[in-house]
Amino acid sequence: MDVSFAITGKGYVIVAADTTAARSIVKMKTDEDKIKVLSPHLLMAYSGEPGDTVQFAEFVERNIRLYHIRNPHGLRPQSAASWIRRTLADSLRSRRPYSVNLLLGGYDTSEHAPHLYWMDYLGTMVEVPFAAHGYGAYFALGLLDRYHDPEGSLEDGLATLRRCIDEVAKRLVVAPGQYKVKVVDKDGVREIAL
Amino acid sequence: MSIMQYNGGSVIAMVGKDCVAIASDLRLGSQAMGISSHFEKIFPMTDRVYVGLPGLATDVTTLHHQFRYRLNMYTIKEEREIEPETFAHLVSSTLYEKRFGPYFIEPVIAGLQKTASGDFKPYIAATDLIGCLNFAKDFVVAGTASDKLFGVAEGLWEPDLEPEDLFETIAQTLLNAVDRDAYSGWGAVVYVLTKDKVIKRELKGRMD
Amino acid sequence: MHAFAERFSTNGAAAELRRAKEILGEDDDVSDVMWGSSGGFGSLVNGVPKFAVPSVPDPTSFLRMHTDDHADPSCRIKIKHGTTTLAFRFKGGVIVAVDSRATAGSYVASGTVKKVIEINPYLLGTMAGGAADCQYWETYLGIQCRLHELRNRERISVAAASKYLSNLVYSYKGMGLSMGTMICGWDKTGPAIFYVDSDGTRLKGDLFSVGSGSTFAYGVLDQGYRWDLTDEEAQELGRRSIYAAGHRDAFSGNTINLYHVKEDGWKFIGNYDISEMHYNGPGGADGYGYDVRVQGRTSANPPPEAAAAQA
Repeated sequence: MDVSFAITGKGYVIVAADTTAARSIVKMKTDEDKIKVLSPHLLMAYSGEPGDTVQFAEFVERNIRLYHIRNPHGLRPQSAASWIRRTLADSLRSRRPYSVNLLLGGYDTSEHAPHLYWMDYLGTMVEVPFAAHGYGAYFALGLLDRYHDPEGSLEDGLATLRRCIDEVAKRLVVAPGQYKVKVVDKDGVREIAL
Repeated sequence: MSIMQYNGGSVIAMVGKDCVAIASDLRLGSQAMGISSHFEKIFPMTDRVYVGLPGLATDVTTLHHQFRYRLNMYTIKEEREIEPETFAHLVSSTLYEKRFGPYFIEPVIAGLQKTASGDFKPYIAATDLIGCLNFAKDFVVAGTASDKLFGVAEGLWEPDLEPEDLFETIAQTLLNAVDRDAYSGWGAVVYVLTKDKVIKRELKGRMD
Repeated sequence: MHAFAERFSTNGAAAELRRAKEILGEDDDVSDVMWGSSGGFGSLVNGVPKFAVPSVPDPTSFLRMHTDDHADPSCRIKIKHGTTTLAFRFKGGVIVAVDSRATAGSYVASGTVKKVIEINPYLLGTMAGGAADCQYWETYLGIQCRLHELRNRERISVAAASKYLSNLVYSYKGMGLSMGTMICGWDKTGPAIFYVDSDGTRLKGDLFSVGSGSTFAYGVLDQGYRWDLTDEEAQELGRRSIYAAGHRDAFSGNTINLYHVKEDGWKFIGNYDISEMHYNGPGGADGYGYDVRVQGRTSANPPPEAAAAQA
């Protein structure tokens, strides 16, 4: 039931995820942060099987951190995405696979460009200008094809995100109430109140 | 819904006169929903060996990396580039290694094989998902539109096509076949391999 | 007894008719067989058609077992699925737009299906779900609407027509009928849309989309919808919404059929190839496609000195 969106724009990636943690028919928590900050220029929104999500996200977070400690430079978004994909693909054929879907948004400081990766629990990965997971994708993708602008300002990007959230709220029966929104650009990661 | 149809996608390879062609669509889907129209399934292994990997998208990436790694090791050890036939056997044995938990990919190999006289001979092959090799003299197909590709190719292909004619034949075969398949399409790419160059062309296909 | 007496009496309505037929040299009453199957339109003069049902103790569950390919993809009777249809009401009337793809499994069985059924000059029905079910029952509805006109010397309201269809399909509930349709038209009350499906649901509304691609269509439709759209804007919105669905949904596509219903009845606006819309758009200048629309635009933002170095 999780819904997450990500949108690139001129020099930034916006990553948004709903904040509900549900169990059965009950909302257990309404301010859960489902977006991990993996490095100064990397964000990861995760959704999927409860339990797996946080376990996997923390595993990724610690390994990226370890890489930062061991090496003089951190991983670029492309490399981090590739490592995470491989981890998921290996996990798929293990005794108990992680069922986690990801949106990975990063800013490559050396080529001055934002990158966004859509990834599912199978280890399918593709770079896209905008992405969504969960039922939200069915409503947002058609809309984003129509309204997304790769050269849009941050305000434009947030307005487009607003459209996605409004559309899901209007049409999806199990629409989540609140979202957490984070942005990564050349200055790093920050949270934005919508 | 079969796991082979989860992401969709199709590949075809054809033999021409002293040339071969390999082509694929560009769709990556999540069942009925299209995710990306830039998902390449054909990868150059050497300048004269290309491999197409239709099937489950996670395994497309995994196998591409796996083949790249094994090929690099081969090239370093042998100090020469691999021949298409040798590569086909590498593909076959890599897949059979996972006989009881297979990669969900049906690879297509297209290349130009060096002969004793120093010429190049067209070579195409396909395998099933556990590595049963299938050589062909005309064309090979794989993916969600494979039955449609067979039908169209059977009608359009003829022997000894020159590179430009082969391009036209494979392009039309692919475009018309994927239009009859819900899980393939969203653009296409064609590679034509000749002894002195490789031509890559992206095709405008139906986007629905 | 009454019927027997009537047949041989020399006065009364039946006798008048008999005499008239003799004068005109008409044949005797043709039997139902001459008109085709007992489920065919030939028998409609006799009221609601009758259908043979499987001779098993529980025909309902028997039919569901063999026609529900969602639960069991290898079921024996495959009904064609996958569609996007939409209709919305606005200041200038009703816009109806549909795609034209029919799929059987992953096979694109047809790309030229007419999913708008022209019930009469003032009523349109859309087709989603079982193609045959929609075609048959909406044509049947057309016959009943005409009879209503003849009997009452006035056109049937959209509400009444849709209610008729709703009641009809509800009487077959559980027998495997599969239809999700929008009955659109113009009556005394103005433009109207009713959503009717084979569950028996009937909803009056301003804006509906039905089918596997409906969510993608809703995304574009909801964001662009206003009551005071001009005719051109409304037609463009309908077209773009079906395009969005045709693009993203594997089971929708090929072409768009666009209709506009106004006070003087519906008008067919046009048939648009979705691939043509993707690359060139309706005017030939602005393609709807994302890659076409944003061509040359990039999200990279090199600082001025880096951009200069690259150039």
